[in-house]
Parts: sequence; structure tokens; C-alpha cells
Amino acid sequence: MDAPEFNEQQVAYKQGASAAIPPDWLAEFEASARRPLEIRFRYAFIHTYKPVLDDEPFRAFETTAEYRRWCEENLPDWLGYGRV
Amino acid sequence: MAAFEYRQAQEIRDCFQRHDIRYLFIGKSGAILLGFPDTTQDADLFVEKAPENCRALVAALRELGFDLTDAQAAELARGKDFIQLKNGPFDLDLIFAPDGIERFADAWNRRVDIEGFPVCHIDDIIASKAATNRQKDRESLPRLRSFREYLVQQRRTFRS
Repeated sequence: MDAPEFNEQQVAYKQGASAAIPPDWLAEFEASARRPLEIRFRYAFIHTYKPVLDDEPFRAFETTAEYRRWCEENLPDWLGYGRV
Repeated sequence: MAAFEYRQAQEIRDCFQRHDIRYLFIGKSGAILLGFPDTTQDADLFVEKAPENCRALVAALRELGFDLTDAQAAELARGKDFIQLKNGPFDLDLIFAPDGIERFADAWNRRVDIEGFPVCHIDDIIASKAATNRQKDRESLPRLRSFREYLVQQRRTFRS
């Protein structure tokens, strides 16, 4: 896979100085780059039941802040949707 | 509900293209399209919150098999900030105002095309997760930032 087009001139990078990539992560990035997109999808998407979140067929929130608040007030902590 | 499949991503891409919908894959599903090796549960789409775009979105979702009531379709057409759909062939989160990204047009200008899939730039994906600042985002950010560095290095190699 070629590296995706990187519109460097259009982006104000917020990352600061580049950091070294841990070797095990680098190996995983390189292995992923060798896989066709269809295979990456097969490995990446899994489905496990998430309590509360998966119990309604449709939810709409007026604002993103309202959605974040709803997650914090209604979802179990272990799902990780609470803000730090 | 089975896991989201490549075939279904293709259906979104092709259907949304037919309906001229402006959207971007965002979040971890966007990063995975960019090559990020990780797991996630469903697809997150950043959709432009414009009346015509939202009306087309309703038609496209119904064509894809989402069972939308008229009231739900009206909410979609009106353009709420966040909508979760679990009433179709796959789960979908529609985000009209993600944290950390000021305007859709900015993200659109920075988008990356991966085999016809419009994807948020890795910097926008990272900015969005950093701004959201949930526990699960905190856990994935160091690896995402390393992946961004990997993309930068690949780009340099590709150019030289």
C-alpha cells in the first residue's frame, strides 16, 4: 500500500516533535500496510454487545456535548466513554 | 448484529456517491482505512450538516436498508449533531459536529482518498479524539500518534 496522500501544506500539525515509534508497533504498522484493505477490514471490525448503547435502534442528540453527557450518565464506566 | 464488513463499506461508498453525499470516515474506522492496525465495532461517518446533504442522506440510508420512521428521517434531515443508527444492516454513528474539528469544509479539504473511500486526515482523527478526551480515546492516542509518525516517514520515503 502506498502511503496515503498527506496534505502537509494544508494541515497545521499539532503533534510537536516527532517521537520514535516503538518497534513492536512499527512491525504492526508495516504488516498492516502489506495487507489489502479487505483483509484489514476483516481483522479490524469485531462486534461485541455493549450494554445500554446497543439497546435502542435509533438515538439522536441535538449537540455533541449532549451525546457526551448522555454517555457519561448512562453507560457503564468500563466501556470507556467517560471523559477524563 | 454481525461485524461490519468490507462489502458494507463499499455499499456505503457507492450509495453515498450516487446520492452526492459529502461525508468522511472518521474515528478509528477512518484510521483503519488509512492502515492503522486496531479493532473497532462500527463505522463513524462525519457528514456535512447542510440541508441538501442531509436530505440525500435520508434517501441513501433507506436505500441501504435502514428502517427509518418518518420522525427519524425528519431528525436526520434537520441535521442533529450526533445520530446512532442500529436499525439497519450494520451499525452506524453519524457525526455532524465532531469535537476538535471546526468546520466540515476544512476536514474535507484535508481528506485522504483510500480506494474511493473519503477519509479524514490522520491529524483530524487525532485532533478529534484528543478533544473528546474519553478514557478509550486516551488509551488509543499514543498508538495513533505513532501511526501518524509512521505515515510521515513513509511519505518521505515515497517522495525520495
